[in-house]
Amino acid sequence: MNHPLLALRDLTVRYTGRTREVAAVRGVDLTLQAGETLGLAGESGCGKSTLAMSVLRLLPASASIGGQILLDGEDVSTMKWGRLRAVRWTTASVVFQGAMHALNPVRRVRDQIAEPIVLHAPSPPAAAALRKRVDALLAQVELPAVKGDAFPHELSGGQKQRVMIAMALACDPRLVIADEPTTALDVIVQAQVLELMTRLVAEQDIGLVMISHDLAVLASTCQRLAVMYEGEIVEQGESRAVIADPRHEHTRALAAAFPTVGDPVYRYAPATSNELGLPDPPPATESPGEPLLAARDVRVTFTGRGRALTHAVAGVDLDVRAGEIVALVGQSGSGKTTLARTILGLQHLTGGRISFDGAELPTSAKGLRAYRRRVQLVLQDPTSALNPRHSVYESVAEGLRIHRVAGDEREHVAAALEAAELRPPEEFMPLLPHQLSGGQRQRVVIAGALALRPQLLVADEPVASLDASVRGEILALLLRLRARLGLAALVITHDLGLAWNIADRVAVMYQGELVEVGSVDEVLAHPHHDYTKSLLAALPTTG
Amino acid sequence: MSDIITPTEDALVEVPPPARGGGTLRYVLTKIGGGLVSLALVIVLGFLLFRVLPGDVVQSMFRGRPATPELMAEAEARLGLNKPLYEQFLDYLWRLLHGDLGESYVFNVPVTDKILERLWPTVLLVGVATLIAVGLGLWLGTRSAWRRGSRFDRISTGVALTLWSTPTFWLGMLLLAATSGLFPTAGLVYSDTPPDFLSQALDVAHHMVLPTVTLVAVIYAQYQLVMRSSLLEEMDADYLTTARAKGLRDDQVRRRHAVPNALLPTVTLVFLHLGMVIAGAVTTETVFSWPGLGLLTYDALRVRDLPLLQGTIVVLAGAVIIMNVLADVLYRVLDPRVRAS
Repeated sequence: MNHPLLALRDLTVRYTGRTREVAAVRGVDLTLQAGETLGLAGESGCGKSTLAMSVLRLLPASASIGGQILLDGEDVSTMKWGRLRAVRWTTASVVFQGAMHALNPVRRVRDQIAEPIVLHAPSPPAAAALRKRVDALLAQVELPAVKGDAFPHELSGGQKQRVMIAMALACDPRLVIADEPTTALDVIVQAQVLELMTRLVAEQDIGLVMISHDLAVLASTCQRLAVMYEGEIVEQGESRAVIADPRHEHTRALAAAFPTVGDPVYRYAPATSNELGLPDPPPATESPGEPLLAARDVRVTFTGRGRALTHAVAGVDLDVRAGEIVALVGQSGSGKTTLARTILGLQHLTGGRISFDGAELPTSAKGLRAYRRRVQLVLQDPTSALNPRHSVYESVAEGLRIHRVAGDEREHVAAALEAAELRPPEEFMPLLPHQLSGGQRQRVVIAGALALRPQLLVADEPVASLDASVRGEILALLLRLRARLGLAALVITHDLGLAWNIADRVAVMYQGELVEVGSVDEVLAHPHHDYTKSLLAALPTTG
Repeated sequence: MSDIITPTEDALVEVPPPARGGGTLRYVLTKIGGGLVSLALVIVLGFLLFRVLPGDVVQSMFRGRPATPELMAEAEARLGLNKPLYEQFLDYLWRLLHGDLGESYVFNVPVTDKILERLWPTVLLVGVATLIAVGLGLWLGTRSAWRRGSRFDRISTGVALTLWSTPTFWLGMLLLAATSGLFPTAGLVYSDTPPDFLSQALDVAHHMVLPTVTLVAVIYAQYQLVMRSSLLEEMDADYLTTARAKGLRDDQVRRRHAVPNALLPTVTLVFLHLGMVIAGAVTTETVFSWPGLGLLTYDALRVRDLPLLQGTIVVLAGAVIIMNVLADVLYRVLDPRVRAS
């Protein structure tokens, strides 16, 4: 076998829209030998998913392919439909992004894993043999056979992704394409899934093309890295070399967006190219003032079916001082979002108390309204947080109207947009969300919060849905807001890098309790609790 | 790669969503309970509604025949109409509980007998028409969604919309005129048909053609449009890409993955729309003098036969409520996600 497993020769993919043609992939040359692993990095819209989907010709009808896609020596772009269907999943299979949607919700996962086996078998396999094969595949991904009888919604995110991997291996493919296989997962689950995939691919000598926007994830899994930018490959090489010495400025930006926790270079320094720069790190104060927000022994208990109690928050003490940025870190299901909702007065306390600026958290509707003016929320996904039919002006002014803020509304909106660094504000006011970029949308959400001049911002994963280059800009904005307005922030995140980038203190939440609270330097550099240690250990590292 | 440490503590293992459900019996009982409440409301409303209708019941009973005030008072007393309203209602409820819907003013037979006699022609007509309409609608809807924007899609959707907006009675009369002589225009059977089963069945089928065509034409469109739109919603789903990547043929992707998901909202709507089908049946039966419940309701309304009206309303509403309960239960069977919650 002297031809490579996958060879792309001057590959071009064009999408024909109603009015114009867009080249998503422009003249890409790429080679992958059998058993090799290649990471494909880039931001959303750089063409990396289009490139990956073109290998099995899974592109929408509006796409046209130029150049050659040689899969095991055969050109996919000119294959007949019958041959293409035969090649799909047997030569190359795909682990899709977001297993939640990539699995059929109304069919048991066993049947979904078995489907390609039956489809590609020369003669229909016996039911017992098929069952054994699926059980073996499930065992490979460390799932018990009974999970095969589950429906996708009965599995956790990590388990679903394992099912996707088992499915991808069903027909013993020679190439697996993994499209953002761990994006929606927690750090620890991500580490488990990556480890599993790396091991299986190495054991079975399968070639792997993994796509991600996270360089660290790719570097920890793949031998080689290719960085895509605007449809072209701008840099390619050994993972270690690319990470250590990025040549292209886009690679540098991608690398900087995911800081190395513990590296002082990244402390209070999210990647930003904004001319406003970064404020100086806050001076270390020995005697902290009165806390702005104080939670004492906060408990939230949910009663499930059959009277089972779930202690979502089980006795939490947390302070946020004026002008302080606190990161609340934990896995999904750790109770951090419930805690945040409680702090915002959106969730009743089962026990304990919360005080803000010396006064107890109000319970009356009127009191809560006044309180929420001072404590504002920034949500994860700006696209769904903004009403698609409201202009930027309307979105920002809504809070002002609800709270009947005195003064000229237009001036307030302009000031808020200015504060969120949407300049000049007049130009942004009439725009609708779909006319903005992801980062601009998040700035509009922040402006909406700022319009009410709050003292505390509660931000739930404020950059999780944003591109790498935008991530640093939004984080830098939070730092500048703190420096200029003395705005305190409670940032909820699963991303330890974010905490390292901007937070003064970090609180690690695990199963409803804060297992470790302290300054970022202390906790992340010298963790005490086992959970914090495993969180840090699960971070992908270049190796 | 060795520096990715997989935590070994059991406690760190990701927790899958909690297993719920198990209360299937409870779910079904809740739905049936809800249905009974609806039925009770229909019974109360049915009673009150026909008593606030303008016009005098007793007068209309005599329909122009000379009636002395004594005769009318006697009739009023016989029917219990001179009692206070709440007593009439209690009487009505008491008898309803015993399965007695009262006696028809006009036919002078128990309402239950009359309804039972007219039930099966309606079941036959509505049943056959619904089956045909559902089959036709789902098939057309699937085809037009899968080839969205094609000529087939445009034409079939246009035709469906046109037929849907056509008044039932007008369409019925149009059909009668267009096919004059080919099909019988009224009734269930000819009186001179031999009494053996085959001849009777063939004659009923012959009589059924026009009412069925009318009813199907009016109702199939909603099934087609619902199926089309719910399949369109599934068209961009990621699991269809997965299915294609597995090497499935286009029709296999559609049959095995897209349609089962698209059917979920459609099934519920099919059942919910049965109420409208029954409404459509009233008109159709009237136009074709099909001796079913619809025609009976129409006649009862015309001559103000209160017991008969109340009876038909209870039966028709009961049918719709039963269908709704069935839809809820069926949805739970079909969609594993609903089963769990």
